[in-house]
Amino acid sequence: MDTIISLANGFSIALEPWNIFYCVIGVLWGTIVGVLPGLGPLAGLALLLPLTFKLDPNSAIIMLAGIFYGAMYGGSTTSILVRIPGEAASVITCIDGHEMAKKGRAGPALVVSALGSWFGGTVSVLVLMLFAPLLSELMLTVGPPATFSLMVVALILMGLVGSSSTLKTFTMIVAGLLLGTVGLDAMSGVARFTYGSLHVMDGISFVAMALGLFGISEILLNLEKVADLRPIKPTFKSLTPTFKDIKDSAPAVGRGTVIGCLFGIVPGISHVISTFVSYALEKKLSKFPEEFGTGRIEGVAGPETANNATTGSSMIPLLVLGIPSIPATAILLSALMIHGIEPGPQLINDHPGVFWGLIASMYIGNLILVILNLPLVGLFVNLLRIPYGYLAPLVIVISVVGVYTVNASAYEIWLMAIFGVLGYFLRKMKFDVAPLLLAVILGDRIELAFRRSLTISDGDFSIFIESTSSVVFLCVLVIIIMLQLLAWLLGYRKKDFEDGDAN
Amino acid sequence: MDNIIRKCLIVGLSIFSLSAISWTAQAEFPDRPIELIVPTPPGGGTDMTGRKLAEAAGEVLGQKVVVVNKPGAAGSIGMSVLTQVKPDGYTLAYVWNAPLTIVPHTMDVPYKTSDLIPITQVTGGTPLIFCVKPDFPAKTGQEFVDHIKANPNKYTYGNDGIGATVQLAGERIFQPLGMNLRAVPFGGAGETLKNFLGGHVDIYGGSIPPILGHVKAGKARCILVTTAQRSSALPDTSSAGDLGLSDKATELFRGVIGPAGLPADRLAILQKAFAKATHAEVVTTYLKKRGEVPIGSTSDEFKKKILSEYAANASILKGLGLSKN
Repeated sequence: MDTIISLANGFSIALEPWNIFYCVIGVLWGTIVGVLPGLGPLAGLALLLPLTFKLDPNSAIIMLAGIFYGAMYGGSTTSILVRIPGEAASVITCIDGHEMAKKGRAGPALVVSALGSWFGGTVSVLVLMLFAPLLSELMLTVGPPATFSLMVVALILMGLVGSSSTLKTFTMIVAGLLLGTVGLDAMSGVARFTYGSLHVMDGISFVAMALGLFGISEILLNLEKVADLRPIKPTFKSLTPTFKDIKDSAPAVGRGTVIGCLFGIVPGISHVISTFVSYALEKKLSKFPEEFGTGRIEGVAGPETANNATTGSSMIPLLVLGIPSIPATAILLSALMIHGIEPGPQLINDHPGVFWGLIASMYIGNLILVILNLPLVGLFVNLLRIPYGYLAPLVIVISVVGVYTVNASAYEIWLMAIFGVLGYFLRKMKFDVAPLLLAVILGDRIELAFRRSLTISDGDFSIFIESTSSVVFLCVLVIIIMLQLLAWLLGYRKKDFEDGDAN
Repeated sequence: MDNIIRKCLIVGLSIFSLSAISWTAQAEFPDRPIELIVPTPPGGGTDMTGRKLAEAAGEVLGQKVVVVNKPGAAGSIGMSVLTQVKPDGYTLAYVWNAPLTIVPHTMDVPYKTSDLIPITQVTGGTPLIFCVKPDFPAKTGQEFVDHIKANPNKYTYGNDGIGATVQLAGERIFQPLGMNLRAVPFGGAGETLKNFLGGHVDIYGGSIPPILGHVKAGKARCILVTTAQRSSALPDTSSAGDLGLSDKATELFRGVIGPAGLPADRLAILQKAFAKATHAEVVTTYLKKRGEVPIGSTSDEFKKKILSEYAANASILKGLGLSKN
């Protein structure tokens, strides 16, 4: 009952005309930074932060949070249309999303990902509202050992992602893990594989790698057949999902939501991990696993829902404990502090208006996003009408600008070009580059979590089975391996998992 | 569609040509915007205070001061960029301690302290802090020292990275007292705090603002600040001075620096402007909110501060085996 009254108060704040206005500005700007490659939620927040200094705290936080979750909507657009992941959480969407676009089904892909995002986002706000204090306790139990165990699970599931053969997928994963070691080792301060260059001291830029491996390589591949490329003329019918599309994606959206909310308790990386856990699950459950990678709508609906379903959870540590779990929420934290609101355990009691106003605005914001995004689908799909001779240079220009904006470094443009060529050859040889990219993201985190755990335990490996949450994840791991073994023994070997059991 | 492409081209070309306009006329310094490099990603303490400072300095100088984030490699990328620009006073940087007094010891960076001219120290006096759970056996700073000495290698403290500010500030006190703690590096104060509250590390090491709320809620007890004086925010917490280690105190500071070779007249203009901006009301109120003290020192005072901390860190880092020399 208290919750309902508080929420009603929250809505009375969020529905003030000015707050709706700032919410719209926030989500609109979020969508834009999400669509533009390179310019992620972090830069988007930092750019608009000075504008909020003079606003009242409620409006400021409503607008800034809007940018954060709005960016999750935009990320899928370029993945689907031009095979450029707007951010890490949209890497998976490239796989089937862009294949759908190639078949003239960009419309349904975009519509389903917008609707899935809305559903996942709204449910995650519901979870935030109902279980925030409980979940924050749960999040604290997830220390380095549990993070490590979870990432091992993620790594195993990654074997299911991607359209190449298992051997090739695992080759890419190992290559990704190796690339992930480049840079300053956070545990010892030693620079690894940097060859004296400061530019790779923080590791290889993810944006440069993503734009190169996906976007640039796609253009290089298309150059070979550019004469045959006809712009796709979208019709109204091709814009809207068919009944079958809805029927296929609904369960994927449901499962994606559950996955996103569950993995949300490990903030920081859950928005990426949840996408390929969802993808792997959809592929496993599908009657047509072999069609994944050729444009299955579940491969878009599941992951896109899952990454939005983690947004609510990412806010929990910030609002309940005053801990920014990801860089984007660190900016929200500084915004709160500028307005003299001390984030921490007393926030909900001391500033109920901020907390409940934000919650209410997130319901509204998610709704605005879906209303905003659906008509935009028509506009975005029209991009594909542009003859390839114009579209390709445009994509390159946007990519170059995007990669430059991240660190204002011309060096990263070269890096993108190198990865573009590398991606071209890898894809020529039928290697899927998605697992490579995901392994790079996981690589240094998995290593850090492992070594942090052992530093804490002074070298004792039992720390991984002493922590309850770690044991939970390890059990999941054992179950996955057992299921695979069972399937293998019973003879249901699937083409994609021939070598997977060995792990 | 052609129309849209044409419009895009027009917009693109006009942006390009605007940026290509060069200022050739000679006028009083500064006659065009000043670029202030902040060597961190947007959103952190240095970035936020830097943006406030830039706003105020712009008003003093009559020219916009534009913040440009050049993050990476513990701030050394931004520093290297600064040493490579023309020393005309139009490109400066706003940094915290580490890139000036720590990183040159630990990493092969293409700049030396002598490549830089300190302009003014903007903030200072900010302590780093060590906190424990309320049930920790030691109550005071001295008890803490004794307890750790009696239990060598038993306790872990979270910090913001090996060879980074928190660890060095801590070891400056721990080493001379013979305290042996295990350092667990995290990606920043937020992550350290989460692992501390979750009981994964025994001691929180970091800045004060993130933990303050938890101290008030009774979830943490702060036991040592790294400055010579106690902190006004936590007056019950022992300081390095209380342990008789005033000379081993560390405080977080930030300031404006320029490339070596900056003409003396321009240095004077910039020093005066940034020192004045430091004491502008919009900056001081913001700094106080963050628990930082506005300073606005002279170039020489700032230089002395940097050099003394630089020298002190050399021996600490050697003791930790982190020095590259």
